[in-house]
Amino acid sequence: MIMAEPVEPTESESPAAEEESELVRRARSGDLQAYDDLVKRYQERIYATIYHMTSNHEDANDLAQESFIKAYQALKSFKGGSTFYTWLYRIAVNKTINFLKQRKNRTHMSLNDIDFNAEHDPDLMALISENTPRRAASLTELQEKLNAALLKLSEPHRLVMVLHDVQGQTHDQIAEIMDCNIGTVRSRLFYARQQMQAELADYLK
Amino acid sequence: MNENENSFESLRCLLASKNRELPPPGYFNDFSAQVVNRIRAGEASEPRNAAEQLFAEAPWLLKFLQIFEAKPAFAGAFAFALCLVLIFGMIYAERPDTSAPQPLLEQVADNSSQLAALPATALSQPSDSIMLASDNTNPVNSVQPVASLFGQQNPFVQQVGFTVPGN
Repeated sequence: MIMAEPVEPTESESPAAEEESELVRRARSGDLQAYDDLVKRYQERIYATIYHMTSNHEDANDLAQESFIKAYQALKSFKGGSTFYTWLYRIAVNKTINFLKQRKNRTHMSLNDIDFNAEHDPDLMALISENTPRRAASLTELQEKLNAALLKLSEPHRLVMVLHDVQGQTHDQIAEIMDCNIGTVRSRLFYARQQMQAELADYLK
Repeated sequence: MNENENSFESLRCLLASKNRELPPPGYFNDFSAQVVNRIRAGEASEPRNAAEQLFAEAPWLLKFLQIFEAKPAFAGAFAFALCLVLIFGMIYAERPDTSAPQPLLEQVADNSSQLAALPATALSQPSDSIMLASDNTNPVNSVQPVASLFGQQNPFVQQVGFTVPGN
């Protein structure tokens, strides 16, 4: 299983969107079973975003749960101006950024294990075996370097990179989630990539 | 832009590998149940709202705590100062306080001597200013002279008439 596949935006006319609207309506009226279904829909994406931002499983677990709880409590204020998914994402992202600002530089990585099948990913293995000066570098070492480099980015730059390059969201979606224009998203992404490339120069072409 | 995209291709490939980092197996099986249970129990909402309300009403408290968080040395200095205050407080609390009652007793004695010096006509018409201690801090005026609290002689002077038997 690969976590947080690229997100397909839900069209307002699609049956899935209608079903989601119905779930939101029921959850707003206090139906916890409906909200349970909504949580199941987005739990992996929300968790993954927070995990990639914090590089810490325990923090991601707490923040993801709190984001869903806060979203439920604020559900009455959800007017439907954006999709429920975008609205939920904003809550999770804001909560995560606030958490990271409070934590400041006291970062502690608690990384999840890498999928066993990653060893059979030809692209990834090629990256390690061909580009790494120390050919014995393991996937775990690469994972730690990558996460450490991500943590050196500022929160907005890291968020753009996680949403775009890790989770595969479009510039439009990211701009909507971060409440900024697309130009800002592009410039932040470019700067973040430059920074990351400099940090991971040993592992990249 | 395409050149930029190409130059970052390796980086994107590396970043995409982050999707291989997975939580423990079965982690998502009961995730939603935990969220719903926490909503039901109100575990997360009530204490947090109380804390947020407190910080909203007293933002200085939040700033104060943030200073502690940002500067541990400040927190240490504050704790040290509190300890000093506590120690001085204990030392002074144990010391017998002999100086405070003395002026009051002296003043009562002064009042008695003043009463003795007054003419008899003045003593025959007692006034409140004589009967009551001048430095009484009790907001309710009492006719009880302060001097009686210490078992001293009562400065209340009353003219009495009596007849000697046999006259």
